[in-house]
Amino acid sequence: MTHLDIRAYAAARRYSAATTERWLRIEPQGGEALLEVATALRLGENQLRGLWEWAEEIAVRDGLSLAQVLRHESILAARARPLSRNDRLKLVKAALRRLRFPRLVATEDRLATLIGALGLPRSVRMTLPDHLEGDEVRVEIVAQDPAALRAAALALQAAADRPGCAEIFRLLGGESHDHDG
Amino acid sequence: MTRDRRPLDGPRAAPWAPETVWIERGEEHSALAARVRARLPATPFRIVGDTAAAEPHGEGFHAGKRRLVLQRQRGSFLQHCPAGTTGMVCCNYLVMNVGSNCPFDCSYCFLQDYLANNPALKAFTNVADGLAEVDAVLRAHPERTFRIGTGELIDSLALDHLTDLSAELVPFFADRANALLELKTKSDRIANLLHLDPRDRVVVSWSVNAPAVVAAEEGGTTTLEQRNAAARRVQSAGYKIGFHFDPLVAHDGWEDGYRDAIERAFDHLDTRRVAWVSLGSLRMTPRLKAAIKARPQRAPLLSAELVPGPDGKERVWRGLRVQMYRRMLEWLRQVDARMPLYICMEPAGVWEKVFGNAPADREVAHRLVATP
Repeated sequence: MTHLDIRAYAAARRYSAATTERWLRIEPQGGEALLEVATALRLGENQLRGLWEWAEEIAVRDGLSLAQVLRHESILAARARPLSRNDRLKLVKAALRRLRFPRLVATEDRLATLIGALGLPRSVRMTLPDHLEGDEVRVEIVAQDPAALRAAALALQAAADRPGCAEIFRLLGGESHDHDG
Repeated sequence: MTRDRRPLDGPRAAPWAPETVWIERGEEHSALAARVRARLPATPFRIVGDTAAAEPHGEGFHAGKRRLVLQRQRGSFLQHCPAGTTGMVCCNYLVMNVGSNCPFDCSYCFLQDYLANNPALKAFTNVADGLAEVDAVLRAHPERTFRIGTGELIDSLALDHLTDLSAELVPFFADRANALLELKTKSDRIANLLHLDPRDRVVVSWSVNAPAVVAAEEGGTTTLEQRNAAARRVQSAGYKIGFHFDPLVAHDGWEDGYRDAIERAFDHLDTRRVAWVSLGSLRMTPRLKAAIKARPQRAPLLSAELVPGPDGKERVWRGLRVQMYRRMLEWLRQVDARMPLYICMEPAGVWEKVFGNAPADREVAHRLVATP
């Protein structure tokens, strides 16, 4: 039955034959779990392939089946949130990314906390390098007049003097925040 | 933590032999062809006008590793190392291509991408032309010392039991004052080397890795114990030694694994006669990643926390990468703080975090040839 369902879904979403055939070749429980996610989030082919790739990599690393990864409680919880399809897709991707890149995401979380604790006003935005692939932060200031610019600069100066700021640069430089090597 | 230091020897890898040898017409009487024929009396030989016929069209990359093509190299033998990418600190290494592809089957090998369209394993019959090319470069720049390696597109020694190529290369470089030859390998085919005098101009280096990575990802290669035993023997025979911990793979237990690999590598070696040690993180282009995925067995290394970098290659994300380099550096310096170390294909920012400074390209090269 699942094979027919997969074919029907893939045909309706105009998936390529290569992706459909690959989907049909995987073990039935994995195929079914993939269909559940695809149906729940109305996934296009590229979206499905992206999630599938991460899920497979997690499965290989953690010795799990594809179905076990895709039915992880964090994925099920994200799917079940009463939000729009796009928002649920973002949450599912974030949950899967957290499983796929546990140490990277933990470091990103710690950096977000540290940036939040700098107390920067909304006019000052600190951005981290993509995937933390770099040791520089980008700071953007939005000001409509000299007074706003001065206030933003002072807030930035105060932030730079906080210990949390030094930790941000240490983490970007490769120091572990959990010291687990 | 106590590490298991039992020998890692498994069954000895048999010397590689091709199923068929293809010879380019006109090269059948070359010295190389004569040597290979003598070593493989029972192997079928085919003489062809165009060696493109030897490519395994439609049979996949691995079919290329089961055949040997003896042909002339028509282009330049000498090239700048392809690792010298813009934005990366480069060690100014030159590559002398004496053949292409490799009998081993490492899951992460970049040749799966680089040679995807012409994977038949080749050995060039006119290496003398390559040496003439090297000679011209060395004579044109007597003030510079060059590092030249043959192990970029082919393992430097894996075919030496068939080709005796080292017997041509070592005496040539032994007579040159301004060059170091690097023979880089994962094999233990060192028999020819033991009877030659390198006169301090030849570095024999081994690519080594954590035992779990060797076992899972380096198909057909020798064990770490065999590589290390070979290193000790060639050092005793007067050669300088090098080690390449490349690719470093972030896997469960990587710290114990790499520390163990370091301890084993330098056990009973004279570290004053180590020319260099390099470190390099696992890196892959999208095409290489696709090739690895297409392998019959899923390679666990794809599940590492790999992210795309500015050069389009995926590597373990920078924080973890720097951490791995720092730990390696710490352990290597515990072995001998004087050993010259470098990292491969990393930007200046990573060098700064690991070594505390980012040298200019020329400076890296100078450090590596300045060793006693």
